[in-house]
Amino acid sequence: MRILLNLFFFIALAFGADGSIEVVKKVDTLPSLAIEDGTTAYDDSLKKSFFKTLVSDVNVLSFFNVDHHPYSTQFDNTSVVLENKDKEYVIRYKIFEDSDKTFNVSMKILQKSVLVKTKNYKIKNKNLYVFVAHAMAYDLNEYMGGEPVEWMKRKVLISRLVSSGQSEIVVCDYTLTFSQRIVKGGINLFPRWANNEQTKFYYTSLNGRRPLLKEVEIATGKTSDILSSDGMMICSDVSADGKKLLVTMAPEGQPDIYLYDVAVKKSTRLTTFQGIDVNGQFMSNNRVAFISNRLGYPNLFSLTIGSNAVQQLVFSGKSNSSCSAFNDNVVYKARESSDVFEANTFNLHLISTQNGSVRRLTANGVNEFPRFSREGDAVLYVQESSQQSSIGVIRLKFNKNFLFPLIYGKIQSIDW
Amino acid sequence: MKKNVILSSVAVAMLLFSGCSTNKPTVDETSKTTAQTVVTPALESSSINSNSNSGATVASDASAAENAANNAASNSGSTAEDIAKNMTSVYFDFDKFDIREDMKANVTNDVNVAKAAAAAYSVKLEGNCDEWGSDEYNMALGLKRAQAVKTGLISEGVDAARISMVSLGKSAPVCTDKTKECWSKNRRVDFKLLP
Repeated sequence: MRILLNLFFFIALAFGADGSIEVVKKVDTLPSLAIEDGTTAYDDSLKKSFFKTLVSDVNVLSFFNVDHHPYSTQFDNTSVVLENKDKEYVIRYKIFEDSDKTFNVSMKILQKSVLVKTKNYKIKNKNLYVFVAHAMAYDLNEYMGGEPVEWMKRKVLISRLVSSGQSEIVVCDYTLTFSQRIVKGGINLFPRWANNEQTKFYYTSLNGRRPLLKEVEIATGKTSDILSSDGMMICSDVSADGKKLLVTMAPEGQPDIYLYDVAVKKSTRLTTFQGIDVNGQFMSNNRVAFISNRLGYPNLFSLTIGSNAVQQLVFSGKSNSSCSAFNDNVVYKARESSDVFEANTFNLHLISTQNGSVRRLTANGVNEFPRFSREGDAVLYVQESSQQSSIGVIRLKFNKNFLFPLIYGKIQSIDW
Repeated sequence: MKKNVILSSVAVAMLLFSGCSTNKPTVDETSKTTAQTVVTPALESSSINSNSNSGATVASDASAAENAANNAASNSGSTAEDIAKNMTSVYFDFDKFDIREDMKANVTNDVNVAKAAAAAYSVKLEGNCDEWGSDEYNMALGLKRAQAVKTGLISEGVDAARISMVSLGKSAPVCTDKTKECWSKNRRVDFKLLP
């Protein structure tokens, strides 16, 4: 009896609390998926890149155990290729060009070798082909009944440091496969989409006498000056309807958070602390999360617009220096070592302001600049290594992180 | 008693193990849809494409003010850039923005230049940080460093109206090695002269 009792305790302790066991089991039980390419047009480099992007996307969906081998086939074949006969799912596609040079993709989803869905995609500019792959993965996710992954189709803005005193604004997809420079020359930082449609954005120009917040219309390249301030001028967040901005300004040398009304062109000061208040983020119920050193070190606080009361949100760590908010949840960056002379570790944590629960989202390295997706289901962030910058995507529900490296330069900030 | 403990253990083990089970993604096997569609309008919009490799890229007004200053000063023999070279950067400790004892002589030197050779110019203070962090807090740290130098200049008689500040964060490093000496060179305030 005692042996049996000890056995149960041993099993419970050894396996029950170990989350990694759950992950392993999930990998084993995920349905298998293979991708078949029926393309006869276009060069190999485009075909390889398209396939690679689609594989990445399907991996990020986290539904499947994805076969990374690129299988070739005839698009109209009635059966899947031999190696995929036992696969639960097969995506087959064909890239082709119209007479007017339009980029087309036809997709089939087969389940257990039976056609269950087809869809055609068309885009005028071939250079944007990665967004077609993202759209295909989006539709696959929808077919599978997954949580919406709107962020997969959105464009990402990054500020890229290319040399000392030179940083440019680049628009790209979330995997950094596509990228196009929009602003260049001098120091240009902190890009923020100005609306949900992603037709214009704000950024900070540090190339004049004072820091200047500018707005750019992507279609035309037209720029407008919005606000300037001595010292600092950063658009930290844009409200969901695009009508209000949270900006950090320092007209008297004191960095404080202001609420800017886009239509009225008027800013209202929200913080008055004689230290550092930065990084304001819209939350639910008229609240704003922000970073302040009012306790002598950077930490996460919140305030309610129209009230002077400030609430401390995080009670652990001695350096929590940036954040992103979605409704009642806040992701923040915490320094977890404080060595002046060696590489430090910065990890991202998720806190629910409703119940105070904290969850660590990254394990090691330098992880910073978190940005919630518009739906709050994913977090985009920057991971720095000694060699390069990467964009990371955290799928909160699946507890999975995916990294996509930047080819050259260092990422200063991101938005999506 | 023993029996109760055993039953409880079984219950605990069952609860823990049940957390490891997985549900397959819901798949509606009966649905078979065919759709003719195009990629979303946002992708199709020519906003990115039509401007590729052309005028869509916004050329910034980089250093226009500094160039103007140099042009204005060139007539008098020495440029603003030349004069600014006589001003000494002020360096800071890790995560700090108070002026160190060994940096006070630098500030005094800068005051002397600002009040004499650079008297005709505005002084722009550029706060810089090391590579640890590109977020707003780090930018604010650069600003507080510039503010500390500004306070030092004003206390020794430089007109506050002549001084402007900007934090560059980690955007303008003078050294990119991964050493403590290198990082310490980047925690600084530089001087620019403007007309």
